[in-house]
Amino acid sequence: MLAKKKSGLWRGLTALLVFVLSISMVLGSVLEANAGTIDTYLGTLSEEFVSENTADDPLYDKFTPPAEYLNADGTGNSNALIAAAIDLGRREAAEGSVLLKNENNALPLSSGSNVTLLGIRSHKNLLGSSFGVKAQGPFISLEQALSQSKTDFANTMSWSVGSRGAPPGATVGTPWTGDEFEFEGAGFNLNQTMIDVYENLSQTEKYTHYENEPAAEVYDPGEPSISELEGADSGFRSSFAQYGDAAIVVIARPSSESVDYLPGGVADGLDFEHGEPFSLTKNERDAIELAKECSDKVIVLISSSASVEIGSLKDDPDVDAIMWIGAPGCYGMLGVADILCGRVSPSGGLFDIFTAYNMSAPAMQNMGKMYYANTEGTITRSGGVLSFTPGAYAIEAEGMYVGYRYYETRYYDCVAGTGKADSTAGTYASKGGWNYADEVTYGFGYGLSYTTFDFDIQGEPKFEISTDPETGAPSAYATFSVKVTNTGSAAGKTPVQIYGQAPYTPGGVEKPAIQLLNFEKTEVLAPGASETVDVKVDLQFIASYDENYDNGDGTKGTYIMDPGDYYFAVGNGAHDALNHIMAAQGMDETKMVGEGNAEQAYIKDISESFISKTLFSVSKTGYKVSNQLPYADWNYYQPGEVTYLSRNDWEGTYPKSYTDMTLTNQELIDALNGKIYDLKTDDDTSDIKWGQDNGVKFYEMFGKDYDDPMWDKLLDQLTLEEAMYIFTFGGPSIPGAESIGTVETYMTENAGNGIAVNLNASKDPGAPWAIPASDPNGNWHPEVFANAPMGASTFNPELMKELGEFEGIESLFTGINILWGPGLNTHRHAYNGRNGEYYSEDPVLSGVAAMEFAIGALEYGLVAAPKHFAFNDQESERGGVSPWMTEQRAREVELRAYQIAFEASKYDTADFDAGMRGLMTSFSKIGAIECTSSYGLMTEILANEWGFIGYAVTDIYDDTDLWTAVLNSGTTCYDTRGQSGFYKTTTLENCSLFVNQVQPYTLSAKLIDGDRNLQLKLKDAAHKNIYSWTVSHLMNRYNSTTRIETRLPWWRALYKGIQIGSGVLAVTCGAMYVMSSMKKKEGN
Amino acid sequence: MKKLNIGGYLNILAALLGLVGTILTIVSGTMSVDNKLTNMTMIVAAGFIGVVLCALSVYTPTRFGNFDLVGSVSIWGAIALYCYTFGAAVGQRIMLIAGLFSYNSGNTIGWNVFYVSVGAWACLLVGCVCLIASGFFRSVKETA
Repeated sequence: MLAKKKSGLWRGLTALLVFVLSISMVLGSVLEANAGTIDTYLGTLSEEFVSENTADDPLYDKFTPPAEYLNADGTGNSNALIAAAIDLGRREAAEGSVLLKNENNALPLSSGSNVTLLGIRSHKNLLGSSFGVKAQGPFISLEQALSQSKTDFANTMSWSVGSRGAPPGATVGTPWTGDEFEFEGAGFNLNQTMIDVYENLSQTEKYTHYENEPAAEVYDPGEPSISELEGADSGFRSSFAQYGDAAIVVIARPSSESVDYLPGGVADGLDFEHGEPFSLTKNERDAIELAKECSDKVIVLISSSASVEIGSLKDDPDVDAIMWIGAPGCYGMLGVADILCGRVSPSGGLFDIFTAYNMSAPAMQNMGKMYYANTEGTITRSGGVLSFTPGAYAIEAEGMYVGYRYYETRYYDCVAGTGKADSTAGTYASKGGWNYADEVTYGFGYGLSYTTFDFDIQGEPKFEISTDPETGAPSAYATFSVKVTNTGSAAGKTPVQIYGQAPYTPGGVEKPAIQLLNFEKTEVLAPGASETVDVKVDLQFIASYDENYDNGDGTKGTYIMDPGDYYFAVGNGAHDALNHIMAAQGMDETKMVGEGNAEQAYIKDISESFISKTLFSVSKTGYKVSNQLPYADWNYYQPGEVTYLSRNDWEGTYPKSYTDMTLTNQELIDALNGKIYDLKTDDDTSDIKWGQDNGVKFYEMFGKDYDDPMWDKLLDQLTLEEAMYIFTFGGPSIPGAESIGTVETYMTENAGNGIAVNLNASKDPGAPWAIPASDPNGNWHPEVFANAPMGASTFNPELMKELGEFEGIESLFTGINILWGPGLNTHRHAYNGRNGEYYSEDPVLSGVAAMEFAIGALEYGLVAAPKHFAFNDQESERGGVSPWMTEQRAREVELRAYQIAFEASKYDTADFDAGMRGLMTSFSKIGAIECTSSYGLMTEILANEWGFIGYAVTDIYDDTDLWTAVLNSGTTCYDTRGQSGFYKTTTLENCSLFVNQVQPYTLSAKLIDGDRNLQLKLKDAAHKNIYSWTVSHLMNRYNSTTRIETRLPWWRALYKGIQIGSGVLAVTCGAMYVMSSMKKKEGN
Repeated sequence: MKKLNIGGYLNILAALLGLVGTILTIVSGTMSVDNKLTNMTMIVAAGFIGVVLCALSVYTPTRFGNFDLVGSVSIWGAIALYCYTFGAAVGQRIMLIAGLFSYNSGNTIGWNVFYVSVGAWACLLVGCVCLIASGFFRSVKETA
């Protein structure tokens, strides 16, 4: 009996231990397959990148942080780094905040002013996006910036709440125990009563707010009513008498990835002024009324990444000042405080036009969630790994007229009396016919200062026009010298914005009446001081894309420069510049809104002999430009169904809502279903070399030009399988390739406002400047800067570059060599929830900002990969939505931003072709074709026309079912976040991301054995990827000794310990069971 | 045939749970083309073999008595196979789950896959618990 009991005990114990052993084995396997991600989140190191530093093979000598961020022993100085981030974030906001109204010299306020802050957002500030460009970690609040002089990071951790119901949480899990920093605040005395009222209300569920919040399809800004304020403290008004020097009201509208605002999408019962999310609620308007009760000096701060409908505030004589402050990041409130107290004179210009009703933008007629009427049964392609909804589209019938291009062009035509511009079509605020003064609140590029400036174009601009005799590549620039004089009584700086207008023929190629061509910014000018600023304009950007131009070689479409009078002007924004041009043209001033000064305009008669009409029909690379995106236009498939807005007839072409499009064209249906590329199986590929032994190693490629012959040797060493791994798994962990001496490495991360890796979780812990886990500031998270519109609004190329440089420095400390950012899509309308990640509605402003950022980052070995190339015009159904547009629109607005950034012509020299070395594609399609799979976009335009060389990764898990089509297009790899352990736990064959393919094949190392084209594309993709690594600081750590050594982080030790322990015990118990069973038998 | 005791009933329950868990694994791996499980044959085969082993662990004690070697090895094998089915599926759902609880919370199909997967895993894990428990108990009633 006892033997039986023992048998049961041992058998049961063995069963338990077999279970523990089995679970630890399978979960261990799961952990290993996700080791890279686990390390990032736990701050552990499971695989160590090891290289030996020798005199012959020195390490960490190619890119280094500046000395001011290093201690005497060469280790990183976290305190200095954070202090510099605070300073930069402060300066960005001080230059990027835009003063829109300042009556009665309400601003600046003097130090020592007794100030009341109103609006719950004055207490719970909006600093970043809840998803995307978050403001991470401890921060400096508006209250602190206005009244304190030292950070309180220990008690100011930023929080974020996700979109679509994701739960809130602290952006950095561990409380701050590091250094605190002194700063110079505004020196105001704040009304503590109101601070307490808002603090009490913010503790309630109804008014809980976070520093990072999302947009919402049904929006409620969460502003308490006056009665609720009274409920918190019935006597709060009594505090106004003491703190009545000024009342500052903060109004906020957040932005974030994955969700949009929608037309009419407002919460019930809040009495939005226009029934739209960007208009003010009654409670917000009441907060402003309360400010009037409190003080004679009412100041409104607008915290947003899009146009807020503040026309009523502009017209309200009791609202003295309005300033846009964006989502200013962790430290930007210091810059806001600098302006409010007059330490800095504001110098920002608006990143987008601010309209009375955002719905008045023609783009808004076709925004949101629209699906083909016959999606079901017609669209057979699934929604992909992320389960996007098939069949979504947006007809961008506004054509060229997006953002200020619409409002200013229609204004121009109104004054000119052409194109039925003054009809009622598209009117929202106008009484009667369309009227600029009613429809627009503040124009693009507009901004006030505490001083005034005089702009004087000095003589003739310097034109430099030439053509490369070999390639025909044009080089055509005009440099405007503008003398800027501070004519006021305060010191300040100002943007110098050059705009242009090309001659328009009614019925001809569409042309906006005004467009930004380039900009610079002055230094701080003392009262009476002058500075002459040179602004170099690339004349390509005043050329127009004529889709119907017959190139005479069987192709159609190219850039043209119509002969005629071209106008250029310098102005305080687009509207001001246009008025100057109109004045120069002698247009009726009585019909104009604002005043024009012909002296600030310049006319140039551009004849064929000066610049030929087709000068820009060849790109800077010498590649012939022709239509590449015909399938972007709905009419290409189903002619005549869409009418695009034309200034020839504003009334007749103002967009209707295309809400119920039906797919009838089979080519269109096939394209939407992903039938784009047919895999070949029997090509002769024998001349394509793989797996050669040429004796070249990756580390030797540092500094080698892209076309250096050594690349062929290196690439021929790769095996076909290795190249397929590099294409298939594009990061964050990127597979190694033994044949060329690379090892699996975690290379990539977000974001445009800072590297999303804590200092103490560096992916390059072997760097001499690495900041150890023991550093008191180790859990500082570098993603701290403002949302992108703030950077754009600085109109300061130097500062934009400095932001890139600093992020490059951050990347050295965090060991990330490729950045998935900055965001570079242009704002199609205010309702795009992700506008906070993108700079502006203007491609030149956006493109310059991204270019400067990327060039700055690359100086420290960080490859910036702007996203999302291209056409991410809305977050609603962003996964595979089809934006339909003309190719002219695509090229002159959406793509121009990328073109400027990728060409980076400003930094070209005779010996060096500067450029960005990375990008991330968009989830969206362009017309019927996925951007990831568009050969016209990814190869013809991006690579051939613009000369892009670098890492071109998809967005996360995007189009994994189109593996061959994506490779064929010119995209160089997939974003496969979370995948690691390549060739072992993660293989081409077993990775679930690629298990579903539209075409009837299965991904394997043999898949393209018989496809010559794809093998060549694969070699090209590998070349571009690896080249981008060689220009990055990844090369700091590579030499002939580089290898990966496995480490034993606590999680690995734990599961392995459990495996060993349970295994040993299971065997022991099993043996005991057998022995007791045998005893039992003997007993029997 | 000897009458079943508590261990035997637990093994029957484990077999049923394993069967349901394996079927749910098949469902979760086929309900969306984008969420197919790679290596499905192996995963499902492991589950079904586990069920067979459970059945064996019910049957053999009726022939050879309690705590017999074949039945015991069947229990241990079934536990290992259930764990394999569970672990192989979990490994392929990690990124889906990470997305659902962060950037891709609107993934309706993904949530459905997740719920079915959780059902499968719960069945398999509870099945393992039943098998562990049965290891301590007699499977059949023995006559004096």
